[in-house]
Amino acid sequence: MGVFEGILTGFQVVFSLEGLLFVFLGALTGTLIGMIPGLGPITAIAVMIPITYGMNPAMALLLMAGVYYGAAYGGAASSILLNAPGESMSVPTTFDGYPLAKQGKAGKALAIAAIASFVGGTISVILLTLLTPVLAQLAISFGPTEYFALMLMGLVMVSSLADGSTIKALISATLGFMIATIGIDAQTGTQRFTMGNVNLLEGIDFLVIALGLFALAEVSNLIFERKQSTDFTSKLGSLRLNKEEVKEMAGPMGRQSILGFLIGVLPGAGGTIASFLAYISEKRLSKKPHEFGKGSVAGLAAPEAANNGASTGSFVPLLSLGIPGSGTTAVMLGALVVLGVQPGPLLMNEHPDVFWGVIASMYIGNVILLILNLPLIPYLSKILKIPRPMLISLIIVFCIIGVYGVGFRTFDLFLLVLFGVIGFFMAYLNFPAAPMLLAFILGGMMEQSLRQALTISNGSLLIFFEKPITVALLTVALISFVVPIFRNWRRKKEDKQTLSG
Amino acid sequence: MQRTSVDHIGANDRVKMKITKWRVYKLKRLLGVFIVMILMLFAAACSSGTGGGSNEESGEKTWEPEQPIEIVATAGPGSGWDTTARMAAKVLEEEGIIDQGIGVVNKPGGGGAVGWAYVHGQNSPYTIFVTSPPMLLVPLNGQSEYNYEDFTPIANLIADYGAIVVRADAKWNNLNELFEDMKKDPESISVIGASAPGSMDHIQFVRVAKEAGVDITKVKYVSDQEGGALTQLLNGNVEVYSTGVAETIEQVKAGNIKVLGITAEERLKGEVLEDFPTAKEQGIDATFINWRGFFGPPDMDEAALAYYEEKFKELNDSEGWAEIRAQFGWDELFMTSEEYKEFLAKENEAMKALLDELGLGN
Repeated sequence: MGVFEGILTGFQVVFSLEGLLFVFLGALTGTLIGMIPGLGPITAIAVMIPITYGMNPAMALLLMAGVYYGAAYGGAASSILLNAPGESMSVPTTFDGYPLAKQGKAGKALAIAAIASFVGGTISVILLTLLTPVLAQLAISFGPTEYFALMLMGLVMVSSLADGSTIKALISATLGFMIATIGIDAQTGTQRFTMGNVNLLEGIDFLVIALGLFALAEVSNLIFERKQSTDFTSKLGSLRLNKEEVKEMAGPMGRQSILGFLIGVLPGAGGTIASFLAYISEKRLSKKPHEFGKGSVAGLAAPEAANNGASTGSFVPLLSLGIPGSGTTAVMLGALVVLGVQPGPLLMNEHPDVFWGVIASMYIGNVILLILNLPLIPYLSKILKIPRPMLISLIIVFCIIGVYGVGFRTFDLFLLVLFGVIGFFMAYLNFPAAPMLLAFILGGMMEQSLRQALTISNGSLLIFFEKPITVALLTVALISFVVPIFRNWRRKKEDKQTLSG
Repeated sequence: MQRTSVDHIGANDRVKMKITKWRVYKLKRLLGVFIVMILMLFAAACSSGTGGGSNEESGEKTWEPEQPIEIVATAGPGSGWDTTARMAAKVLEEEGIIDQGIGVVNKPGGGGAVGWAYVHGQNSPYTIFVTSPPMLLVPLNGQSEYNYEDFTPIANLIADYGAIVVRADAKWNNLNELFEDMKKDPESISVIGASAPGSMDHIQFVRVAKEAGVDITKVKYVSDQEGGALTQLLNGNVEVYSTGVAETIEQVKAGNIKVLGITAEERLKGEVLEDFPTAKEQGIDATFINWRGFFGPPDMDEAALAYYEEKFKELNDSEGWAEIRAQFGWDELFMTSEEYKEFLAKENEAMKALLDELGLGN
């Protein structure tokens, strides 16, 4: 079956009353759950599983896929309005989204996020339609050395996340690295830094750190700064984007949709790395890098386009190889097996209705989400009009619910508070929190990849120079490390010359 | 809201305020809906019946549940334990085997240790859990305070087996060829699995390899817990993949991999499955059963144990459960509480010996 016939089959599946209903329901549920800080797509899909029992497998996947990318849309809202990311891939959305909201441009920020999500989702679903068979090869082309190089590339760019001091960013990143080592070590089965506490055996969950460092720290900040009249305005601001803004976000959106999609295709890398890389690389490419972190339009559009691209991309290994590329697609795979469909290399031939149905549903789903999200913006932004004491309590409640929902452990709540305190002091002392989080996410995977590679090579480092992709990624990492140093050095020299001259 | 000190507002502002108030009201309602939704999520996830003291009267011979039962899956949604628990709960309810509501609760963490500690703490006949070989391995690795002897085995239901897999174009066609090469040059072959060293995928492989005469301390085992194990086999970074039989079927059908041997006693039934040779028929006398069954709390009352044992027997014999088994490719392996205890003691010894040899025991 060719692509064209295939996608037609897919649209036939979607354009039934049932099909449209489930896409809509999925998108709506996903958006709503995604908006709640701390609740991400995994929770949403896990809740949907019992509902899908007995459903037609194609419809079930349509519904779950809708929830998945719907949550990627909705996740932006809590990041922008409350600085409370619901899951790891919406963390970079807070960097510029929250400052925009503080400046009274919440409506605009939400509109940018929705549009970027739409563009990211749509570009990537076109790529998914055309390239899935080809990309199956890309999905399995990454081995431990390639992953290591990719993570290294991300980490080298950590300093880009610093507003001021590079040293402070590095200290923050080192802390993140250290936290990533807590738990049972995957390569030896040894416990590291668990202090005999069973709750630490699997390490600390990302959400605990993110909500602590971002949401709780910001809440404490709001409480302490009450006296100063730096209250951010409750103005919604105009939704309209002007021509310049559209121009500013077009490039980043296009680039990062594709990049996000490609990273999403790699099993294990996923939306988080995609959105962080998107943010960092756009900051480097931008003509106005100083605006990043203070409410840059491009800085908000890039990660939103990337994480929606990545959500779609993660369907490539699932649909073409039966390999789940992320926790969420793993849950989906489990649900499909229950319905008697075993995703694998033969899915496209054995269940074309499922394969093409879900791809076709994403075209419709993205349009539905855009239509659904834009009119919601004025209502959503009203959250900022809730009296401050109530709002603060609400954020705290949501953080607690979200963290408790990860593993139903009260221990995590103590950790949440601990990270809230750490986050508050970090903000007070001008240590950026983002490098810590990025190092935490990348560090764990980077360490495992490095050690996997060295086990395979019997300890020889040469394995890192044998594969073209690895070498290319390492070169990029090296360049991104050296160029800023060189630039700084030259700038200083010029400054000196102008001073002496 | 900082402009709304009531003293100085004009008529115009008053109208605005009314609108604002109305909107805030609507927003509150919206938030209310959100909160209710979350509560519902939690109600669904936790189900009812957390806690629940044992309320059987002493001296009474029979025991009937008087409140909903919770089955704990000591891992996250979508995991093997979770699937088994949810499927069992579904059939138990649908076929009317147990009249009470049955909820599945996820207590992930520590490879099961967090959930076991929870069940131990609850110590109620209304809290049972599903478990499998990690119940032996994790405590032996020194990662859980409680081991299988701290709980009451109720009944085993199903079995799954390990598969030793290579790429379709690999030079080995059976286990003996592979193990010969591993004996000659252990450094040239890497084995990958989805669990940490000393856990399932590793142990099932070394159990077979040891029987074939391979020095298991020299086996290069790589763990990939991010779901990339199969990928690493397909792209040639590792040579051997140790996994469950069910995971291999689709890839075998597509001609990507071949199964050199499985750890079952005899060949399995079913399309594709029946083509997989056992280790035994290749002259390697080793099996590894990925058993899965239900355990109860530490001091389970005799009457309650008898009740559950009977109900799980009924489940095992039901049509609904037979369908589920077929769907997931699980083998039937029913053991009563007594048989289960004996089996576990033997398995535990064997595992301990292996882990000690690997230097992973505690």
